[in-house]
Amino acid sequence: MAELPKKTIVVTRFDPDKDEAPRQQRYEIPVEPDWKVLDALNYIKDNVDPTLSHRWSCRMAVCGSCGMNVDGDAKLTCKDALSDYGDVVEVAPLANFPVIRDLVVEIEAFMEKFQKVKPFILRAKELAVEAGPTHQSPAELDDYRQFSMCINCMLCYAACPVVSNEPDFLGPAAIALGHRYNLDTRDEGQRERHAVFRDDGGIFSCSFANECSRVCPKHVDPAGAIQQAKLQNVIDWVTRLLPGGGGER
Amino acid sequence: MVDVVRHDVVIVGGGGAGLRAAIAAVEADPTLSVALVSKVYPMRSHTVSAEGGAAAVPPDAKDDSLEKHAYDTVKGSDFLGDQDVIQYFVQEAPNELTRLEHWGCPWSRNADGTVATRPFGGMQTPRTWFATDKVGFHMLHTLFQHSLRFDRIVRYDEQFVTKLLVDGGRCRGVVALDVRSGQVRAVLGRAVLLATGGAGKVWPFTTNGNIKTGDGMSLAYREGVALKDMEFVQYHPTGLPGTGILITEASRGEGGYLVNSEGERFLVSRDYGVGTKAELGPRDMISRAIIQEIEAGRGISLPGKLGQYVHLDLRHLGKAKLEARLPFVLELSRTYAGVDPVTQPIPIRPVLHYMMGGVDANIDGATPLPGLYAIGEAACFSLNGANRLGSNSLTELLVFGARAALHAMRFAKGSAAGSETALLEQAKAEGARLDGLRGRKRGGETVAGVRHALNLAMEAGTGVYREQASMQQAVSEVAAIKQRYEQVSLADDSKVFNTELTAMLELGNLIDVAEAVALAAVSRKESRGAHACRDFPKRNDGEYLHHSLVHFGEAGPRFSTKPVTLGTWLPEERKY
Amino acid sequence: MSELRPGVDAMRPARAGATRTADSRPPDGFPGASRYRGYLGFGFGGFFLVTVSLLVLRAVWALGNGEAAWDRVQQSFQNPIYVLFHALAFLWLTWFTLRLFRLFPKTQPKRIGPLERPPDALLVAGLSGVFVVVTLVVAAILWGAF
Repeated sequence: MAELPKKTIVVTRFDPDKDEAPRQQRYEIPVEPDWKVLDALNYIKDNVDPTLSHRWSCRMAVCGSCGMNVDGDAKLTCKDALSDYGDVVEVAPLANFPVIRDLVVEIEAFMEKFQKVKPFILRAKELAVEAGPTHQSPAELDDYRQFSMCINCMLCYAACPVVSNEPDFLGPAAIALGHRYNLDTRDEGQRERHAVFRDDGGIFSCSFANECSRVCPKHVDPAGAIQQAKLQNVIDWVTRLLPGGGGER
Repeated sequence: MVDVVRHDVVIVGGGGAGLRAAIAAVEADPTLSVALVSKVYPMRSHTVSAEGGAAAVPPDAKDDSLEKHAYDTVKGSDFLGDQDVIQYFVQEAPNELTRLEHWGCPWSRNADGTVATRPFGGMQTPRTWFATDKVGFHMLHTLFQHSLRFDRIVRYDEQFVTKLLVDGGRCRGVVALDVRSGQVRAVLGRAVLLATGGAGKVWPFTTNGNIKTGDGMSLAYREGVALKDMEFVQYHPTGLPGTGILITEASRGEGGYLVNSEGERFLVSRDYGVGTKAELGPRDMISRAIIQEIEAGRGISLPGKLGQYVHLDLRHLGKAKLEARLPFVLELSRTYAGVDPVTQPIPIRPVLHYMMGGVDANIDGATPLPGLYAIGEAACFSLNGANRLGSNSLTELLVFGARAALHAMRFAKGSAAGSETALLEQAKAEGARLDGLRGRKRGGETVAGVRHALNLAMEAGTGVYREQASMQQAVSEVAAIKQRYEQVSLADDSKVFNTELTAMLELGNLIDVAEAVALAAVSRKESRGAHACRDFPKRNDGEYLHHSLVHFGEAGPRFSTKPVTLGTWLPEERKY
Repeated sequence: MSELRPGVDAMRPARAGATRTADSRPPDGFPGASRYRGYLGFGFGGFFLVTVSLLVLRAVWALGNGEAAWDRVQQSFQNPIYVLFHALAFLWLTWFTLRLFRLFPKTQPKRIGPLERPPDALLVAGLSGVFVVVTLVVAAILWGAF
């Protein structure tokens, strides 16, 4: 059997009990031609260094666990082909996130921002099950479907320069999800969400770098969602000021 | 030092079943405090990967009825499903999927705005609700996002439950390892629900993600609760080469063909018992048909890949239909198999996917241990009997997640909190055990090495087709692996996010599950549903119309049986 | 507003976690990498916007301060540096506007009521076309063509 070619994976390591700051460790390993970057990390953990900590689960680009920075760019490592890279590949934890250990980052801030946009159907009156499912046309579903595809992998947060410089910023995925609910015909909570959107760190902190949409592995286009939200938000604000509009908020 | 927190109901596992249970509990009683303890953040739960759909008789259905859905499920289970469970299931199914629709689930629609349905394996009429081909993803995210409305659901994310706390014959909490910090925590409650999913990682070729390690099954098993019907593991017909990534049954539901190396639709041209249903027969029969085709020399080899495959041909569906109804299938085939289904057939083979068996529980989700409940894939009620129909399990999570939560809630309210002394002692001992495990040095074994051996042993002994000899071999090999587990040395002694430690704990759980599967398999000397024994190729209702039970024993697992609850339908020949 | 520092405190949660974390790192290559050029160019335009505004204010002030002041301001328009600056500002503004229109379709919803969104290329071509025509017409007027 022919010998497999080798690559050097340079992995960022960090153990808060042992290291002052993150450091790099090099692993030279044989690689299969159809491997994703995640396969290389799993090989290292199983065969070379069991102390390497990283998050992963589904390995089919739907659970969102395995986001990392590979050669400087935010990638979903279970989807990213190792053959796209040269002989030396740098794998680091996601940028813009505090690091807990090795390639594992702290995502609690995302959970906080996520909740702020009220990501659920808001209705004045809850529907009864006996009423059956509501009607929603395929076109109405299509209006928001793309924005419902977010797997919460947070690559968009890792790529966004505003997230980097404005820690209060809600961020692309949270805003895209809020926008998804705003567009859903079953929802009645647009006013409430728009109030959150125009708050400090809301949608108007976005200066449209478009990095989020560039790195999104599920083609959600959060940048599009944010710009659409901006327009909708201004319309919402203006209609409030009109007589009977409900007043400023 | 063990941290202590107290709640009314403790749910272990944050997937579809766990989230539905948490929501049901707090909606029924807003004063309840519910802990949701999960080893991963809920949106990572494996429910997320389900693709095809969730079954329920649509509210306005003209050609369908609850009776038909029930009959399909009973027949699909090869008459091992408990019919009281099945009757309740089909009745509540439409309500649950409707509820999910109200909560925002983006079900795909007909032109008139009503919820669309698609045909699915073993169902006599289309009743599978779907959200393109990412139904598990949409259901999980809808449930998780809806759960954020309730402050009384307190989440403990990335906390690995290692032991149940049992005192005075009642389950009264769990011990959880905080993966991030290494802190051990006693989560006390008056009822505990296990919603930890199946254990596909026992096998090497599986659709399951890394986290499917049978944790809840092992937790219950170690406290004397039996694991039921463990021999029945479902091989999904269509998994991608190498990775085992799932290609949904919906690809056949939308009209896809299964084709051998000679280009023939073997399910149509040869008799595999699926009749006119062809590609939409039940999964156990289709998987066996594919294996038989491969064994007969009509399989397809792939360069660089082990084993042989057949083709799933979707080309005749056309690009437009594929992009509208099966976009995830397109993405997966292109990314992970290097194949474009629009122009090429997809190589696939049967892959381990689901466990019909699990923690012995009744229609209320109650296990024989008071205070302990089990739901979802982790449990066996049994809804699915010897073989599950596709799209029943997602609905199962909702129906029984809700029902079990209400029963657990009633149990919790009806029981006194009681003394904590014994529980805290147990928790302290468990904490010491975990501290000693971290970075321990024993023999020359590694976690990955022992896990690999377990995978190979279980693949050989509990594949699609089994023989008494190979199953017996699996039983002894798992026993040997259990000894090797005691000799595993660990390299990582860190307290912070130690994933070697969690992998070690998961391996222990996998071994428990494997020993139960192997023993149950060798004890069933007939073929039924997904358990196909070459030595006993026929179904034997006279001697084997029962559920298998495996109990943990210090000297080795013990086997026993339990009757099936029959109902409207008595066992008949299973032909389609 | 929080006490969080840009860069190192990115995505720091409100409640500190149970263990010490390493500081966040900003995205690699920011701000020098080529993919940020458009973004930075957009932002850099603030320089032109501020300076042009100040120059306009200067002219407006002169208008209100008598003939002599106004004549001095008119004279300064002849200064070659002044002309160069405005040429650069004009080039930047053209690039900015055309890029803005190229990004414009992203702000639009998929449909407004029953009307589907026109194809992006059409929107962009339309807006850019109008901009070019109007610019040329205004330039011609100022040149004294009509």
